[in-house]
Amino acid sequence: MPSTKKSVVARSSAGKAVFDTINREKRFRNPPTDKTAFPALQDAIKPHVDSWNAVFKDGGCLHQAIQEIGEKTVFDRLDGNAETGYGNKLTIRIANYYLGKSMLSSRDKSAMKREIYPAECRERHTSYRGQLQLELHYKVNNGEWQKEYRDCGLLPLMVMGNRCHLENMSPKSLVDHKEESEELGGYFIVSGNEKLVRMLIVNRRNYAMAVVRSSYAKRGPTYTNMGVQMRSVRPDQSCMTNVIHYLTDGNITFRFSWRKREYLVPVMMILKALVDTNDREIFEGIVGLDQREDTFLTDRLELLLRTYKAYTLYSRHETLAYLGDKFRIVMQVSPDVSDVEVGKLFLRKIVLVNLTDDGDKFRQLLFMIKKLYSLVAGTCAADNVDAAQHQEVLLGGFLYGQILKEKIEEYLLNIRSQVRSDLMGGVKAEFNSPQYMRKMLGKVNERIGESLHYFLSTGNLSSPSGLDLQQTTGFTVVAEKLNFYRYISHFRMVHRGSFFAQLKTTTVRKLLPESWGFLCPVHTPDGSPCGLLNHLAHKCQIATITSDCSNIPPLVLTLGVHSAKVLPVPADATLSVQLDGKIIGWCSPKDARRVADSLRFYKVEGTHAVPRDLEIGYVPISNGGQYPGVYLFSQEARMIRPVKYIPLDKEDFVGPFEQPFLNIAVTEPEIQNGDSHVEFDPTNILSIVANMTPFSDFNQSPRNMYQCQMGKQTMGTPGTAIRHRTDNKMYRIQTGQSPIVRAPLYNTYGLDNFPNGMNAVVAVIAYTGYDMDDAMIINKSAHERGFGYGTVYKTEKYDLAEKSKSKSPVLAFGWGWAPIGADHNTLAKYKAMKDKYNSTLDDMDGLPMVGQRVVEGDPVAVYHNMGTGETFFFKYKGSEGAFIDEVRLLGNDVGDSICQAISVKFRITRSPLIGDKFSSRHGQKGVCSQKWPAIDMPFSESGMQPDVIINPHAFPSRMTIGMFVESMAGKAGALHGFAQDCTPFKFNEENTAVEYFGHQLKEAGYNYYGNEPMYSGITGQEFHADIYLGVVYYQRLRHMVNDKYQVRSTGPVDSRTRQPVKGRKRMGGLRIGEMERDSLLAHGTAFLVQDRLLNCSDYHQTWVCRGCGSFLATTPTVNGGEKRAEVRCRRCAVKASEFDVGKKGYWEDGLGNRFLGGNDTTIVVIPYVLKYLDVELLAMGIQMKYDVSP
Amino acid sequence: MDGFDMMDSGTDGPIVTIRKADSMHADFVLSNVDLSFANSIRRIILAEVPTLAIDLVEVIANSSVLPDELLSHRLGLIPLESSNIDDKLLYTRDCDCDGYCDRCSVVLTLVAKCTGDQNVTVYARDLAVAAGAQLGNPVLTDEAGKGSIICKLRKGQELNLKCIAKKGIAKEHAKWQPCAAVAFEYDPHNKLKHVDYWYETDAKAEWPKSANAGWEEPAQENEPFDYNAVPNKFYIDVETVGSLQPDEVLRQGIKYLQEKLATVIAGVNKSAGQGAATNTGGDVNGMDDGYGGARSPDMNDANGYRNFNDGYVTPYGGAGGGAGAQTPFGGYGGGGYSNGWP
Repeated sequence: MPSTKKSVVARSSAGKAVFDTINREKRFRNPPTDKTAFPALQDAIKPHVDSWNAVFKDGGCLHQAIQEIGEKTVFDRLDGNAETGYGNKLTIRIANYYLGKSMLSSRDKSAMKREIYPAECRERHTSYRGQLQLELHYKVNNGEWQKEYRDCGLLPLMVMGNRCHLENMSPKSLVDHKEESEELGGYFIVSGNEKLVRMLIVNRRNYAMAVVRSSYAKRGPTYTNMGVQMRSVRPDQSCMTNVIHYLTDGNITFRFSWRKREYLVPVMMILKALVDTNDREIFEGIVGLDQREDTFLTDRLELLLRTYKAYTLYSRHETLAYLGDKFRIVMQVSPDVSDVEVGKLFLRKIVLVNLTDDGDKFRQLLFMIKKLYSLVAGTCAADNVDAAQHQEVLLGGFLYGQILKEKIEEYLLNIRSQVRSDLMGGVKAEFNSPQYMRKMLGKVNERIGESLHYFLSTGNLSSPSGLDLQQTTGFTVVAEKLNFYRYISHFRMVHRGSFFAQLKTTTVRKLLPESWGFLCPVHTPDGSPCGLLNHLAHKCQIATITSDCSNIPPLVLTLGVHSAKVLPVPADATLSVQLDGKIIGWCSPKDARRVADSLRFYKVEGTHAVPRDLEIGYVPISNGGQYPGVYLFSQEARMIRPVKYIPLDKEDFVGPFEQPFLNIAVTEPEIQNGDSHVEFDPTNILSIVANMTPFSDFNQSPRNMYQCQMGKQTMGTPGTAIRHRTDNKMYRIQTGQSPIVRAPLYNTYGLDNFPNGMNAVVAVIAYTGYDMDDAMIINKSAHERGFGYGTVYKTEKYDLAEKSKSKSPVLAFGWGWAPIGADHNTLAKYKAMKDKYNSTLDDMDGLPMVGQRVVEGDPVAVYHNMGTGETFFFKYKGSEGAFIDEVRLLGNDVGDSICQAISVKFRITRSPLIGDKFSSRHGQKGVCSQKWPAIDMPFSESGMQPDVIINPHAFPSRMTIGMFVESMAGKAGALHGFAQDCTPFKFNEENTAVEYFGHQLKEAGYNYYGNEPMYSGITGQEFHADIYLGVVYYQRLRHMVNDKYQVRSTGPVDSRTRQPVKGRKRMGGLRIGEMERDSLLAHGTAFLVQDRLLNCSDYHQTWVCRGCGSFLATTPTVNGGEKRAEVRCRRCAVKASEFDVGKKGYWEDGLGNRFLGGNDTTIVVIPYVLKYLDVELLAMGIQMKYDVSP
Repeated sequence: MDGFDMMDSGTDGPIVTIRKADSMHADFVLSNVDLSFANSIRRIILAEVPTLAIDLVEVIANSSVLPDELLSHRLGLIPLESSNIDDKLLYTRDCDCDGYCDRCSVVLTLVAKCTGDQNVTVYARDLAVAAGAQLGNPVLTDEAGKGSIICKLRKGQELNLKCIAKKGIAKEHAKWQPCAAVAFEYDPHNKLKHVDYWYETDAKAEWPKSANAGWEEPAQENEPFDYNAVPNKFYIDVETVGSLQPDEVLRQGIKYLQEKLATVIAGVNKSAGQGAATNTGGDVNGMDDGYGGARSPDMNDANGYRNFNDGYVTPYGGAGGGAGAQTPFGGYGGGGYSNGWP
């Protein structure tokens, strides 16, 4: 096939991958004073911050939620007001809320600067919170609304959100406030830890999904596995899922859950309650003019209508009253509300809550029934809930807002129950008395902030409704700053839900084509969370606001759509046009396409007030495929991504719902007739981290997955503001470098600020034998010059308040004094102690010295009892020596107490050791097996010695050709002094990477293919083969022997079994398990088996009676025994009397009981557990008997 | 043995052709020697020529951003002027002092403080050698004469360090390395067929000619392969880090090579003379001597080292030839080398 395609030229793009060192240095010295230099990074975390802002902005979700909560009422049951018969009525509502920024408590009178910045919270191990205040309104009967402002605790704030001091700060002022110059925010600070609410995949909102699920059949008799489900979302982002179930007899029921309980209602009842209607209208709403002959449909519909007659509810009023009567208790409605009103409330709060108009709800419900019958008839397929097409992302801010909404509602309910319990307790509830109200409110739990704090710190959701979610735990994660890749990944990760983790089927984990461009196909961990924990493709965004679509309904009507309200619709108008779950019209299949195409054109063009992120899902008519129609989505939580719209050559945002029905070419040359879109870049499908794998298109795909994992485990540079951080554990590479081989995206995301490894000269050669099985040899001289040198920082908080039980401080840091009147010995002891620790703590304040080295057991800080003067120590617990890096004195929140806590940061040096783990960026990990002397290393003609030697056997089976290409590219880049572009998909068959880099190598006077003749360092003889030598970026992984080695000769044993305990921390042993034992047996090493399983384990000598074969019947003699056998068998012995004293075989036990005989005992060696087993069996009445011979 | 055959058969020992030499480089062709000898030179100048490097740092004040151990590591890697170090400095382990003294160490101090608003950069030139020291000045090769950057200080930060530089060899730590790299090549035309060049299509096109190719005749068409040929022309380029001049590196390297050989000879002599009864003891001594050539300060195996002293003086001094002749292996090497070298 002759290719006339213009080859993708890497040469031209090579210019983009530049080192840009000077600019980085300049930026680092003088952070920009206007805006960030890396907007791409800001975009990466945008969903988090924007969702928070959407909740807490003026008129945001929380304001809407407060409106939605509405009023709660309570009656005093006093006779005074006989109007309703319930007494006086107290109505309460929340009118508004105020959320302040993080400020000092008003109890602190002295401070001038009252703002609390995030860095302070991190350093003090506290939380970043602002005061939450609710404006509570109440009225008695029909009186005036009374206002009351209630403080509801401190609410954790999102860093960089609209309640954060750092919002909109320039990099310069961020640095001034002890943050990274590129601080991103999007997380909360909880007890000094950075926590974020992980994004969660949920069902797409406001779309009636046809679902086939076996669990549906378990709802009751005659239920089938078919249903149509719609997750309706209110404007405040709280949601309610409605399902209609198909029953085997053709009937349909409506299911919802309320406060975690499920309820089933005949769907006809809902329909009749929604509008004043009749059977004919319902029939015509479901059966289109073209379906009148469809007896399958009409039969079932007839049955549906007929069975409902049994309820004898005819009008809307009757139906509402019936529903209201049934659900009055469930919905906890005030007793003075009529049944009809309760029925209306039911419809408002439960049925299709995304819609406000009952007519819209009616039409949507009819549509759902229509779709369900179509599913049953097989004319449409079930929608795949596991496909991104039917999914959206639950964002942290929105979840936070929902919880807050529920807590606020709970607060109102608590007030109500407080009034009720007052009444029950005989307290006179005078609603009109401000004193009573204040006293009553004071008794109500108002700590809303604390419950959100609990949510963030544990990730546990305690909610009466469950928030329509499938899990109650694991919502939050710590944003670990292990290195920057890991950190940024936290904000891009999307979890499928922990419910699916237990699922045995793997269908949910599958990589489906619908995710293309939204979820990265590479960046998912292997193992148990594989496919459940995904990461967003780097260009994927998430909508956080509802776009203005007010012009869409009139616009589509001009495009030939028939209004849904004008009945009847023409016979050919069979496809619905829906906007966010609201049916705005019907049109013919032909028109539907035109409508969709026109809308898209207007959208990209920016005309006709069609918002730019509108999702135009045109599902064409198919033979048993997805139910057709035009579905428009404009709301929050949708994934969207940019692609180029070919007709206008402009950027279009597409969503996962519409994408399967669009023709999007991957590259420009591949555009075919009929393609409407083309990708801006094929790498847009990859996540940020996956994009950093050089030449990933050359690698076998699992290797790229491994690299995504290992990139996040690398000991890198967590940040530049390390001084102001107190993470529990932080890893840092001290000799990080900027990679020679990098994608331009590396610069776009500013990753050069956080180097993650070193450019190493790597020889692929089997040299010493120490590079077998994925081991690698490091040049000792390279190691001595700092290759891979790393540091671990650990922070420990020493809190005196935890040591003393009293509330006021009794302990203080510093040396105490010997008690007054102490004797000579005590004084000497104190002196000795002081002398001993003088080196580490040689000043009186008792605080650690910065720069001091400590080993296990060394005192870190001294404190004393201020009353007695007794001195105590905090000791260093780590097993390896550490330097004291920083010491912080922590005051309390108000600043009115003496120092009660310090935070000490330890610095542990981690020079590479044998056994430490390294990897290239291609999923090629290896353990350092030797630090080989430089003179013995092989060398090239120019005298170059490799920093790292790896074995060629690492390649054939793994097929990481990308690493070879990187090696060549790195070598050429190093020789010519420029950075190399390693973006995947840049080379092709016509223009290969090898040619490109080979050419560069040749220009530099090296072999075209990267090989070099090398000489043995030991003999100086040239190797028979030439060696592949190049420059590869190496990462040092955080798995180090120092954290892992385990050794034991003797040590602690389990008290019950007397076998060695397990666990490295407890000095335990490594278990020789069944399989290990099998292999020892197979080797015939019986002695070793005995040594491991007995001698080095629970070796035990015990007495046993030869006669009866019992361990347990043996007992030591106290008196009268012969010298030889001090232990006798009590079972074999016979009772003796005082006359037997002195007879042969006479003995006494510890209680003075006299016995004769039983002296046929001996000592045997057993594993101690055998004895334990004997005792346990004895407790069950089972005796064990041992034959002892000879 | 082939090498020695060649020496015997006519040519007069090694020939050195210096192609280029300056303060950092010595590019020369070493011919008429054995491969093992050329490689020994390479190895010894890489690893066993002693230089001076900062080994201990007493931190009096360090409020810079670099932690103490990192700063010390950086200081260690700064090349210090160490010519004729053997005449001027002892290894610490050979010195009678406790810790360190003037005879076995050079003290450098680094005092820097930033008082202004501008950050201060501390360079290697800021290391001050104690008065009277004969060596130990930081090597400054850049045009501005500042040397390498040690650290940067912002306002209020200060450094006050006492650095004790000691004599040592690169075998222990790379900081004592006098050479950055030693280029080493023989047989640029692959006439010996030591290497089997891998190629995709055409070895000639893919393999560039070495820069040394012009110094030898390429193989002629149809020239028969000489099975007995051995490499005897070596293209060596010594690149130093500045602590020693390249010529001194080489001279020292040869000296230490001779010392090592002498140690071996002495060791063999001793064990051979002691006979079977004391064989074990003799072996132990011999082994100690064997690797005791030159050592870095921390490997305090005093016994082995003292023996070594005894071992090397005899054959290396004027009496070298005589001592060599007395060994059981006397006929071949000792004489040859001591005659061949000036």
